[in-house]
Amino acid sequence: MTRRVLVLVGVLVAGCASTGQVSLGEVREFANASARLGGYAELSRRYRDTYERELPYLSPQAERVARDTNVRRRAVFDDFVAIQKTLVLYMQTLSSLAGDGRYDLSERIDDLGGGLKAMTDSGLQQRHVAAYTGMTRLLTRAITSRYQSRSVDTMVRDGNADVQTLIDAMIVLTRIYEKANENERKTVLGLFNAEIPMANRNADRMLVTLAKVHLQNKTAEYKLIDRRYKLAQQGLTKVALGHQKMRENMDKLSSEETRHMLAGYVHDLNLIRDALSGE
Amino acid sequence: MATSSHSNPGPASDGANTTPPSTPPREQAASSLPNQPSTPGAIVTTVTPGLSPAAPQADATGLDMAGTDRAHALSSMQYVVDLADSVVCIADDLHERILQEIAGYNGRTMPDPQKALMRALTDDERLLRQYAHALYADAATFVIHDLKEPQHRLMVLTAEAAEKIRRIGVIGEVTGLVGGILLLVGSIARGQFSQVGAALEKIQLHNAALKTLKPGSTAKT
Repeated sequence: MTRRVLVLVGVLVAGCASTGQVSLGEVREFANASARLGGYAELSRRYRDTYERELPYLSPQAERVARDTNVRRRAVFDDFVAIQKTLVLYMQTLSSLAGDGRYDLSERIDDLGGGLKAMTDSGLQQRHVAAYTGMTRLLTRAITSRYQSRSVDTMVRDGNADVQTLIDAMIVLTRIYEKANENERKTVLGLFNAEIPMANRNADRMLVTLAKVHLQNKTAEYKLIDRRYKLAQQGLTKVALGHQKMRENMDKLSSEETRHMLAGYVHDLNLIRDALSGE
Repeated sequence: MATSSHSNPGPASDGANTTPPSTPPREQAASSLPNQPSTPGAIVTTVTPGLSPAAPQADATGLDMAGTDRAHALSSMQYVVDLADSVVCIADDLHERILQEIAGYNGRTMPDPQKALMRALTDDERLLRQYAHALYADAATFVIHDLKEPQHRLMVLTAEAAEKIRRIGVIGEVTGLVGGILLLVGSIARGQFSQVGAALEKIQLHNAALKTLKPGSTAKT
């Protein structure tokens, strides 16, 4: 009976273990770095809150227009963020699917070995048990690894077109955010640039000093934020390119060239993320 | 685009609601200014050509939606962004001329009526910038217009992948379960009842894990 069980297990396992192991480490790293990129959500919020920041600088007429635009910005904000959430969830799942931790079945195989050992009295020798356990470990690993790489392959191939569409939308939106921010900067700083030179009476001195300090702070704030739009766009472009290249090279994921290329994207994404979080 | 034209009351909201940028209310006032090297009125005329190709079309879509081709053209996000950019350009030029006018006084105190005029022009500039903002908001809305479908497909794909992750988990648990059952059967066969408890515990453990990995055909790989 024992032998029959073992033979059955062996046949089942061997039938599925025809391909070698595919390296998914770089896929996992890339998906992980893509999911953690950041920038877009923060800039979406900043875009949503344009009205509040501009409000003190607006004339009543301009404020009326701004209020209406504010309503429209807020109405679509959830949609803007949903795009990113979809993409992040996709990348997180891809990272998890390409993950290695959950596929380490050693402990379970040891259980199997223990079970087999308990049946060894019926003629099966210890070394046979060890051999069977070892082989099963190897073959079960091969089953899951093959299933795993096939699943990753399907996800990347089937998802690529939509991933590209969503990232493209995010890049376009980030460009619009950037333009709106530039327009906001000119609204805020422009007021001071015009008012400060006109206030040259003695009585205005204190006010002018305060205005200059405010102008300095605001100038610094906009300079910092300007950089973030560029970084976010660069990051999204890298994610789009990396996913596209991964899609094109799915059949040679284990090749040195492909792994090196994906590692390059991961490196760039990490640099961009650090730059975004370091400011 | 059409939404923005309607929803934004013009600076002088009497009719010119879709072409506010080309008709700043201070134009006449500014051009009548004395002692100016070049009047803001002249600025407005210089920048108007930049806007003129866009403005009449904006007007047309806002008011008559007859031509579907035109409406289609206006629904192009890039067109709206370009239009917004041109409004920003006009505001930039206006700002530049305001600063030039102020700089012309070279530190001398500007008379109050002149200041009032400069402030009025600054208000106009900021109003123009709000129209540009409104157009950017329209453009952004166009961007997300057709995204529901790709988002939905990607969500389905992600859910499928999550199911595959679950099934791979099942492979592991089934392997553990088989081990437990073998241990149980072996222990009973050999009369080692002391191990039966441990074997049952293993079976229960993996069985419980399999249950959490539901739904559906858990035992299959």
